[in-house]
Amino acid sequence: MTRYDAIVIGAGHNGLAAAGLLARGGRTVLVVEKNDVLGGAAAGYEIAPGFRAPRFAHLLHAWHPQVERQLDLAAHGLAFARRDLATLSLADDGNHTIIERGEARLAAGNSLPDAAAFAALHRRLQRFAGVLAGKLLQVPPRLESPDWRDLAGLAKLGLDLRRLGAADAREFLRVLLSNAHDVVLDEIADGPLAGALALDAVMGGHSGPRSPGSALTLLYRLAQGGGRHLPKGGMAAFVGALAEAAQSRGAEIRRNAAVEAVLVENDRVIGIRLADGEAMKAPLVLSSLDAQTTLRLTGVEHFDAEAVRRIRHVRCKGVTAKVNLALSALPRFDGIGEDLLGGRLLLTPSVQALETAFDATKYGELPACPALEVLIPSLADPSLVDGSGHVMSIVVQYAPYHLKGGWNDAARSRLAATVLDLLERHAPGLRDLIVAQDVLTPLDIERETGASGGHWHHGELSVDQMLTLRPVNGLARYALPVGGLYLCGAAAHPGGDIIGAAGHNAARLAMKDWALLEERVA
Amino acid sequence: MSARNAGRYDVIVVGAGHNGLTAACYLAKRGLKTLVVERNDWIGGAAVSRELYEGWTYSNCSYVCSLLRPEVVRDLDLPRHGLQVIPYESGATFTDDGGYFAYYSDHDALRREISRFSRRDADNYERYARAVMRQCRFIKPLLMRTAPDPASNRPRDLAELLYLGRRFHDLGEREMGETIRFWTMSIGEFLDEYFETEVIKAHFAGSGIIGTGLGVYSPGTAYVLLHHYMGEVDGTIGAWGFTRGGMGGVTQAMASALTEAGGEIRAGSGVAEILAKNGKTTGVVLENGDLLEAPTVISNMDVRRTFLNHVDQKELPDDFTKAVKRFKIRGSSAKLNIALDGFPSFPAAPAGAPFLKGDLHASQSLEELERAYDDWKAGRWSAEPYFDMLIPTCIDPTMAPPGKHMMTVFVQYAPYALASGEPWDGPARDALAETVIAKIARHSPDFRDLILHKEVRTPWDIEHEVGLTEGNIFQGELTFDQMFFNRPVPGYADYRSPIKGLYLCGSSSHPGGGVMAAPGANAAREVLRDLGFKSAATSAERAA
Repeated sequence: MTRYDAIVIGAGHNGLAAAGLLARGGRTVLVVEKNDVLGGAAAGYEIAPGFRAPRFAHLLHAWHPQVERQLDLAAHGLAFARRDLATLSLADDGNHTIIERGEARLAAGNSLPDAAAFAALHRRLQRFAGVLAGKLLQVPPRLESPDWRDLAGLAKLGLDLRRLGAADAREFLRVLLSNAHDVVLDEIADGPLAGALALDAVMGGHSGPRSPGSALTLLYRLAQGGGRHLPKGGMAAFVGALAEAAQSRGAEIRRNAAVEAVLVENDRVIGIRLADGEAMKAPLVLSSLDAQTTLRLTGVEHFDAEAVRRIRHVRCKGVTAKVNLALSALPRFDGIGEDLLGGRLLLTPSVQALETAFDATKYGELPACPALEVLIPSLADPSLVDGSGHVMSIVVQYAPYHLKGGWNDAARSRLAATVLDLLERHAPGLRDLIVAQDVLTPLDIERETGASGGHWHHGELSVDQMLTLRPVNGLARYALPVGGLYLCGAAAHPGGDIIGAAGHNAARLAMKDWALLEERVA
Repeated sequence: MSARNAGRYDVIVVGAGHNGLTAACYLAKRGLKTLVVERNDWIGGAAVSRELYEGWTYSNCSYVCSLLRPEVVRDLDLPRHGLQVIPYESGATFTDDGGYFAYYSDHDALRREISRFSRRDADNYERYARAVMRQCRFIKPLLMRTAPDPASNRPRDLAELLYLGRRFHDLGEREMGETIRFWTMSIGEFLDEYFETEVIKAHFAGSGIIGTGLGVYSPGTAYVLLHHYMGEVDGTIGAWGFTRGGMGGVTQAMASALTEAGGEIRAGSGVAEILAKNGKTTGVVLENGDLLEAPTVISNMDVRRTFLNHVDQKELPDDFTKAVKRFKIRGSSAKLNIALDGFPSFPAAPAGAPFLKGDLHASQSLEELERAYDDWKAGRWSAEPYFDMLIPTCIDPTMAPPGKHMMTVFVQYAPYALASGEPWDGPARDALAETVIAKIARHSPDFRDLILHKEVRTPWDIEHEVGLTEGNIFQGELTFDQMFFNRPVPGYADYRSPIKGLYLCGSSSHPGGGVMAAPGANAAREVLRDLGFKSAATSAERAA
């Protein structure tokens, strides 16, 4: 039987980051991935011969610079086709709004009445987000009998808060648990600009702009500056760099290797068994899968009743779908030049419309007007397409996992038709350009990435499932009750989006624990 | 209109609601010359009993009693002034298949009832009850304390923050996490963790949405549930009861206590303006032209009404005005008060069922409740409204002639302004009533024929009569951004305002709405502190 120091389950960005850091720390590491393609939710693929598209996630906006430095990803091929993409929020009347580096203006050039109010709001939120930014790479503090590190972290938070000044500190504490609807509409009028900000607050989550707590997710998104970057060569190249960084330090990656069980002996993890029956041994197992799946693979008998109950109740109703298109030529959008098309296009006409779309989702219905985040990455990065065509990647917020009637072919076609109809309002003739199209529902996301409920964040990013409560109360410090078993994915703090912090934090903790164990054995 | 001088007082309280009267009592008892002015010809605000149909007494707004702080009841000696609260010990939700789920305040009886639906739910009820009770115990001591300003360096605020931190820490790691979860979860998700039976969840969930602009799946509604569980009747935690003679009994007892302490009440003319000059208040001018002078004015009105309608904007800092305008007060509740010719029959209920004396509902599922909320968001009243229906004459026969009955129906959700643009004081009001009556009639076939008279109160009516902005029963949404040190305006959670001598004592301030009288008692304590009263004379003052 093969032996490793550590086995990482799942070659998503967090799994690969953890593997890279473990290998960098001198451990022998094996990464097992059930798919043939690496990357999990960050994977890329060929939608049609010669058309390379991101399968699910299509942008990097929160990737942690410290993780990038530690893994030296640039040396392993990570480059960016375009940094700080501009956002263009489309209006039905053609009066589109451009948002760039915290400033908003109308695409037509005339002045935007809310420009000053938006800039002020954005600056304030950015400032507030800065208070939270430091928490991402920290293990959530122990609230009882904290060690000096926990205390220092809490003290720093208090200090950062006070450093904002009295007025801002009070405003921070008010906004923190407020909702995006009120935070945005208290300052600017409802419309495509307000809708864009509200979409950032709810993207990927089962929550509407009026849901209290949605302001916090908005702040979370702004914590890394809020800039959105397009990796050169697409998401596949980003994942490739991560894999390369791990392998160059000796980590081994096995594809098509689905884990059937995490092996436990005397309350300690001893390795894993693959679906084909092959077993590997390791004193450390890091799972980048969600908490429920990890629990299932390990076996409920190794957890206490309360942990099992809590993990089973983690809320993870996926509501985000994907539509990917291969296009024979660049679609023409009314009144939008090619430079703007290369950015991030949003179809989110208002906060109100976003809430209405969410309402349908609550009852398992497909909304008539979901919000869309559209990207044509091949504009900034021609290398994605052989020849003259383009790829278009569309995130659809909201499409419920539990669709009434199920996700059958008719439902998929309906989703595709809804999305294309919405797009054709701005880009007439888009349908004629389609060479190939893929509709990926939350159910597909679950099947392919293993994320329960097809949830992008491996569990709703809401206050009651954040920080010391992520994934559940009592298990928030990466280590699970089974010795040597860790969560290293989005299920753990700081949660979803492509940040890499969960992988980083879990790897660091696992190495520390291992060192202690070795000491004790010695 | 030239104001004529009509008197000089130490303290003027604007509005004779339960909080205004409570504050006035505490101050009068310390020898301050105290006056309460009230716009209506009657007193009580939203804790009022009125006879609108001969022989019947309605609790026009608030209708049941539980949250009234026992400290206040003791300090003001309200039972001696006539306050009598009679507990009711059960309730029920009628199901569409002709059955019911009954709620009993007796733990074992309720457990047996739940196990009629699901053994698992009955087992989980034990855990649920414990979790809710733990949260009640944690929050209760905070009700009668002034919230600290977390951005301030005053020793008083720092000491209070330290106290809170210690109290929180004393919960232990597990419970600290549970508390954060409880405060930030939705009531729907909280109940989903414990129960599988839809009607049981629907029955419990009502308490999480009453009076709010939130749905059962909106984060934060689990906390609102607490707002309905942390009360007590004669020491029985979580119990609810009827005030003998209607909710006006509460404010009548307070008024009696006030008069005994030497305070004065002038009803019939509201305040036109709260006078302020050079950042200090000097008194009020009434709508009838009376000028009343006082160095201290306490407003029982909500924060928006107080500062946007009755104070000269020039006297207020812009930031403060902006924050007041931003304070969310969203009308979402309506009320039907009905005079009945006899006791309506409920075929689902066994003969003599005790739960008919308590709160009755007919919401079948969390989805039905959430959809009711979506209707409200879209500017319509709920097609399937949630209602909290009681027949207090079962227990308190003073409210209707012998053999006749009075019914009170609280309705959630009805918007303040209809999206259709229709005004509330027209056919819309009757249409709303019809929606509710039709729903009740589904479970009581003879109910409609027994109606002798009804009073329909839309959010618009509540605003116009009681003066609550948008008819919101809590004087402002009970969401995190408007609770505790954020209520009503960050930096002004200590009942004070930018104008020296002007205080708030209504539910717009901490700890918020419900007939609790805590804001009134807390505000009085802060006023006494500013006036240099040192020794704590009453339990509410000692609490701080």
